[in-house]
Amino acid sequence: MNDKSSPRKFSRRKFVQGVSTTIIGSYVLTPGVSKISEKLEAETKEIASGKKPLNLIVNKVRYELMISPETTLAEVLRNELKLTGTKLICNHGECGGCTVLLNGEAIYSCQMLALDAGEKEVTTIEGLLTGEELHPIQKAFVEHDGLQCGYCTPGQIIAAQAILLKNSQPSKEEILTGMSGNLCRCAAYPNILKSVLAAAGYLTEGTNR
Amino acid sequence: MKNYDSYQHVRGESLFLDDLTSPEGVLHAAIFSSPIAHGLIKTIDFHEALNSSGVIAILSAKDIPGENQIGGIIPDEVLLASEKVDYIGQPIALVIADSYLNAKKASNKIKINLEKLPPIFDPREAFRNNSLIIPSRTFEIGDVERAWKSCDLIIEGTADSGGQEHLYLETQAALAYPQEGNKIKIISSTQSPTAVQRTTARILAIKMNQVEVDVTRLGGGFGGKEDQATAWAVMAALGAYKMKAPVKLVLKRNDDMRMTGKRHPYSSDFKIGLTNDLKILAYEVTFYQNAGAAADLSPAILERTLFHTTNSYFIPNVKATGISCKTNLPPNTAFRGFGGPQAMFVIESAIFKAAEKLGVDPFEIQEKNLLNEGDEFPFGQRAENCNARKTWNELKRKINFEKTKVNIRNFNQENNLIKKGFALMPICFGISFTNTLMNQANALVHIYTDGSVGISTAAVEMGQGVNHKLRQVAAELFSIDLEKVSIESTNTTRSANTSPTAASSAADLNGKALENACRIILDRIITNIARELKVDDLKRLLIKKNILLLDNKPTEFTWEKLIQKTYTDRVSLSAQAYYATPGIYFNRNINKGKAFAYHVYGTAFIETALDCLRGIYKITDVKIVHDFGKSLNPVIDKGQAEGALIQGLGWMTIEEVIYDERGKLITDTLSTYKVPDLHFTPDKVEINFLEDSENPMGIFNSKAIGEPPLMYGIGGYFAIANAIKAFKQDTNIDCKAPMTPEKVLISLYSESIKQKPLKITKES
Ligand code: FES
Ligand code: FES
Repeated sequence: MNDKSSPRKFSRRKFVQGVSTTIIGSYVLTPGVSKISEKLEAETKEIASGKKPLNLIVNKVRYELMISPETTLAEVLRNELKLTGTKLICNHGECGGCTVLLNGEAIYSCQMLALDAGEKEVTTIEGLLTGEELHPIQKAFVEHDGLQCGYCTPGQIIAAQAILLKNSQPSKEEILTGMSGNLCRCAAYPNILKSVLAAAGYLTEGTNR
Repeated sequence: MKNYDSYQHVRGESLFLDDLTSPEGVLHAAIFSSPIAHGLIKTIDFHEALNSSGVIAILSAKDIPGENQIGGIIPDEVLLASEKVDYIGQPIALVIADSYLNAKKASNKIKINLEKLPPIFDPREAFRNNSLIIPSRTFEIGDVERAWKSCDLIIEGTADSGGQEHLYLETQAALAYPQEGNKIKIISSTQSPTAVQRTTARILAIKMNQVEVDVTRLGGGFGGKEDQATAWAVMAALGAYKMKAPVKLVLKRNDDMRMTGKRHPYSSDFKIGLTNDLKILAYEVTFYQNAGAAADLSPAILERTLFHTTNSYFIPNVKATGISCKTNLPPNTAFRGFGGPQAMFVIESAIFKAAEKLGVDPFEIQEKNLLNEGDEFPFGQRAENCNARKTWNELKRKINFEKTKVNIRNFNQENNLIKKGFALMPICFGISFTNTLMNQANALVHIYTDGSVGISTAAVEMGQGVNHKLRQVAAELFSIDLEKVSIESTNTTRSANTSPTAASSAADLNGKALENACRIILDRIITNIARELKVDDLKRLLIKKNILLLDNKPTEFTWEKLIQKTYTDRVSLSAQAYYATPGIYFNRNINKGKAFAYHVYGTAFIETALDCLRGIYKITDVKIVHDFGKSLNPVIDKGQAEGALIQGLGWMTIEEVIYDERGKLITDTLSTYKVPDLHFTPDKVEINFLEDSENPMGIFNSKAIGEPPLMYGIGGYFAIANAIKAFKQDTNIDCKAPMTPEKVLISLYSESIKQKPLKITKES
């Protein structure tokens, strides 16, 4: 499979990423005194309203944000950065829908305050692509039909990525343990398991088939 | 063939409702709901809530411009309660604020004064109090009274099955926008856009043509968004209409769990009579359906229960009575299987009990009584193209049944604490909405001048792969690449008066309508080009793989060129077409007719290993021979079968909906309500396609797939029951599902505990 077979030529991820970096980056990068004072003014206002600055690195892009301290990482990803691949399903740490990587470890982003993720590397489903090329795990989920409605899928894929980052040849038991926190109500489990096993195969083959 | 939607799912790019970029100035709604199960509203004080930060308005029943009524089948359900409340979680007011959090905070400040009335939660108690949704209904064949006399064995008993939370991972959600001309547009996560449209018009006192409902996709529905997506969409619409601003309403998980209905719990009495050679002569059953506080879809669900009274078996004398009991719980609703599974659990329980008494294995009775071609169902239809025995025999062959039996017996002899049990589970499920009028669909097809195709139907994609199947239908009929075909959102301005995506029938009905529309356009294209090429016999022209062939030889006309030509010649490239399932009818006065276009058959073998020390079990092995017809997409269909099976197993084993004595849902989180996860998934699941099954009533000879395999899960209950009996032969299996590990443990060890009903109470 190559890029051509992928039906979506236009990447929302890229678009969103572009928009986010420009807007947020402008606080920092725009030169000129008046802009800086505007920026200071805005920041002062926000600090007065209890907001806190946050430096977040998501999918290798650095964002500088002002957020309310009680905001969770999931909320920042979805609401501020518009990275809506990460799903909020239970908001209680019980379903895995909001799974993202934090410095390579799978975490429930609904259970982490965004401020605690400051200066750490966050990877979301949108960060798995290389250009328009699917990550081998994404390919495996397509190939082995590891999904139905697709709502749990980003969380499943990120959870699988966390397992495979640790051990590219996980046993079935390791996969079960690593992914049992990711619910799929469509119960696509048999194919999810197949997808993860296949992804491990692709990764060790070193191919990107 | 891979599901086309997968590409965007795996990239996290599929846009579900809550992922849409919110419009400028969007307002957020939270719901204030009843804290008690039954009572009269004396006073409500919104004062403090209205002064709460960010609050824009609080809407209650008196703000509804039209009729405060959302009942679909029976007008017995208000959108917002104003005088009386009938269950905990019943919506009373809609709080609208600048953020969800502010709306929620404000809703906690609403003060309400209620006069409590005694609630009823048990369906049999409701029946005794004559608290019914509709008068009872009875399906009958033969004469049971006379037949009892010829029976060698008669067994009576009860069988109860529990509720099931849908737990679609995307919660109920809607986003409504005011439009010019007093119109309203609603994006809704619903299986039933027309129901949302109709109900919104009724609530707002506007016409249906002033309401546009749009649905892109659902993050799971399972029936829970057939009727019960409506209220939330209408509330968002009411908010938008009154505020003249967009309003978004997304239920939080535990609100969704508390406020929405589930699969109906049933309590049933059965009486079954057999001859010594295991023929079932008579079967009498009374179903007490726990409908909850309003009709919702309960009457239709009860009807399907009656239709599936005898599952895959032929029984010459049957009397089945269904009673829909009104209780003070959230109105229960459609859930994959739609009352069918509840009926099948009872007949399987009856067979299990009869087998126990006769000292035979249940499969002996099952096999003896399987449907044969031409056998009559209690509602008068005859089994046609009956594959009940075929799938049964094929499965037994596939699993080498005799050997499997011996292996399991040997295992149980050698192991004291781990016991294996198995069950065979045949299924027979009728396809068609049992309400004949709903078996209609329309499709709108546009071919654009670049040759790309856009399709609009009523089918809502919710994971069942209907979009991909429709895409396949059009691509195959036009003989063009799948990439050229796009499935548009389901939208009431393009697809009018549609039936919900339900009853497993979306691919059949919409696929057939789509086929008709494609054929109309194809006909026009060919007729037009024939004139150009001066070909009289249209049969000489054929489009194959994007090229027009004349006498099987390629012409200069590629698909794109052909479309251009058609357009230039001023021939329409759009068509709207219609389909209504032929030959079905049902007379509700006598409860006889041909209700179903066809039946889906299959048989499952389910094996479990039970840890008799801890009461925990694992479904280890499932093998199925399923009748897919000529599957349109084996990859999608197999996934559907696996998913439905596991959901059915969940219903029968670990999923337990518990309300406390006040009618408050205790299992309102994912930590208290357990659903299957990867660990629960059977070690082996093998789905076999029954060969040589044709089905002219389905699209391209396929058969519907969404619901039927769920009922294989019932075998899970009896597999565990058999494992329990392998450990302790005299254990009384009470035929009450779900068979949770706690219940297994209790049944294994404690006679005394078992006497008391399991009740977990928790103070909130
Ligand atoms: S949404 Fe975070 S674990 Fe469920
Ligand atoms: S694919 Fe629907 S929840 Fe997993």
